Amino acid sequence: MRGAKLVVDVLKEQQVDVVFGIPGGVTLPLYDEFYNAKLHHILARHEQCAGHMADGYARVSKRPGVACATSGPGVTNLITGVATAYMDSSPMIALTGQVATSVMGNDAFQEADAFGLMMPVTKHNFRVLDPKELVPTLRKAFVIATTGRYGPVHVDLPVDVLQAEVDGKALSAPSEPKKPQKRDLSGLLDAIKLLEEAESPVILVGGGASWSQAGSQIVQFAELLGAPVVTTLMGKGAVPEDHPLVLGTVGMHGKQVASYILNNCDVLLALGTRFSDRSTGKLSEFGKATKTVHVDIDASEMGKNVRGVVSLVGDAWTVITALTAGMQQRARKDRSAWLRRVEGLKRECACSIDIGTAPVAPQKIIHEFNRLLPDDAIVTTEVGRNQMWAEHFFQVRGKRMFITSGGLGTMGFGFPAAIGAKVARPSSPVVDIAGDGSIQMVFQEFATAMENQLPVIVAVVNDGYLGMVKQWQKMFYGNRLSAVDLHGRLPDFVKLAQAFGAGATRVERPSELPEAITTALKSEVPYLLDIIVDPEEDMLPMMPPGRKASEVILGPRCNWKGGTTVGSDLARRS
Amino acid sequence: MEVISLVVHDQPGVMQRVMGIFTKRRINVETIVVGKCEQPGQARIVLSVLEPRHVQVVIEHLRRQQDVIEATAVPPERHEAYALIAEERGATRLTGAIDEVQNVIEKTKPSRYIVTVNAL
Repeated sequence: MRGAKLVVDVLKEQQVDVVFGIPGGVTLPLYDEFYNAKLHHILARHEQCAGHMADGYARVSKRPGVACATSGPGVTNLITGVATAYMDSSPMIALTGQVATSVMGNDAFQEADAFGLMMPVTKHNFRVLDPKELVPTLRKAFVIATTGRYGPVHVDLPVDVLQAEVDGKALSAPSEPKKPQKRDLSGLLDAIKLLEEAESPVILVGGGASWSQAGSQIVQFAELLGAPVVTTLMGKGAVPEDHPLVLGTVGMHGKQVASYILNNCDVLLALGTRFSDRSTGKLSEFGKATKTVHVDIDASEMGKNVRGVVSLVGDAWTVITALTAGMQQRARKDRSAWLRRVEGLKRECACSIDIGTAPVAPQKIIHEFNRLLPDDAIVTTEVGRNQMWAEHFFQVRGKRMFITSGGLGTMGFGFPAAIGAKVARPSSPVVDIAGDGSIQMVFQEFATAMENQLPVIVAVVNDGYLGMVKQWQKMFYGNRLSAVDLHGRLPDFVKLAQAFGAGATRVERPSELPEAITTALKSEVPYLLDIIVDPEEDMLPMMPPGRKASEVILGPRCNWKGGTTVGSDLARRS
Repeated sequence: MEVISLVVHDQPGVMQRVMGIFTKRRINVETIVVGKCEQPGQARIVLSVLEPRHVQVVIEHLRRQQDVIEATAVPPERHEAYALIAEERGATRLTGAIDEVQNVIEKTKPSRYIVTVNAL
């Protein structure tokens, strides 16, 4: 049989049920085998989007998504998708074709050094030069992508290796045993003591907790300890946001109450987070007076950004389960005063976003989605103000999910990720909260969604600007708006979507929103909502870059009084 | 001087992977020695950096690489310098403690030489 057949057989062995990709010259043998195997292949319209689709699929199914591209431009296009997955620790297998080994290095047609290019943006990558190595290499790729801290693995497949006659027996060789994950829980007792003695403990939940699906254990532990829970952007959705102890997201555009509590606690339990600068603010100022227990699956995160007093290396689920077991056997401190203060602060931070004024306020869009989406809906976002509105106001409860490009901040991520998410969970409504800038980067994927009958909803928060950049120019560059104004240069999104055969409608008044959303939810084809919003509505509060949490810029609608309305001196420091 | 010793899979691309870790963190690698070692299919890399900053974090990042089997900091008492000095009669080889070798080079000011650090 051909080498390409072995590739398909390993994909089947690894229970891959869908591949996202675009064929090309050197992947012809592979696509010929896809034809034989009746493998479910979703044809993207740009390789970057094939990557985001595989990523979206992985984030929903918690299994590796597979993306496939040809050599040269196929690879370079795919890199953005792979790098996005890498920054957010999403498991992905990226298969790329390569020119034949005989001409490799000669600048052959469509040759790019895929092996070198992918190296810094993958957890690991391979170049298969010997057909005998196909099966063990691909198996290793799956093991690496899904062991420890998840991540993308790239396998470069030269065309002659795919065409080579190979022995099918390779498949019956036993797979390499999965190496047990490296753990170091020697600090467990110290961690328990520290948490037990805390006056005002807080739990910070990052993306690692999402991947290890530790949400219910974390909530249980928070109740046991008497600690509020805050999340990073990537941790949003790991814990249900309708739980009274869950305060929402921290960071640059997080909830005031969450950032305040994070910066005014005495002991911090950080689970599966790398302390990104977007979460902490100025790193040198962060956590100065806080004792931190840092839990992460990746030992190289320990001490990278924040020095933990106690470091525990392991996945969030295992560690939180061990901490719970340890804590249950010990006497519990009364933290009712602390929890009353937290509750008061949460009330101080609460505001109504049911804004009835026209033009539509972006907050109102999220308000209506909160209200009208069922408890199993999946929300993805692009990158920019649309993402931050969704982060700040969308409530992830029940089986809802929130999917966003946190680390790399890739505009154009949300729509293809929504398509991948819909493939992974067809029964759930999937909504991409998009911007008028970012959707233009990936609009062609309406063709993919149409072809595969994937009725995702794209809600364009249309302010006629590259809004986030405009906001920064307004705030930090003297309102000198440079290359951000899209007014008069925007296509008619409704007509554009309709040209693909999708449903679409324009919303200009807040009163039209509920009906438009309901129609979109019922649609059997992809549906675009072009929602014209007030461009002057800035995304606030905002912690300016490189500043600390107390230097936050509050919005005109913000009720926050700096944490002063609740009387108790417990842990009020800044 | 900080010296890091690695055992890696001996295959194309492994140097690029290892150096990528240093490039990303803006650390200049002062010296590097690579060679076959006692394990078939594996190679040992000994490299030195001037800045002690982030060495432990860099080692953790190196350990995270799939092709890195071992990564450790070598204690200073095991550091060794090796120099090759061009002279009219041919090349002179010099080995010893780092400061000893440095002293000789500073005194003799050879026109062409190379110094590297090694350790086990």
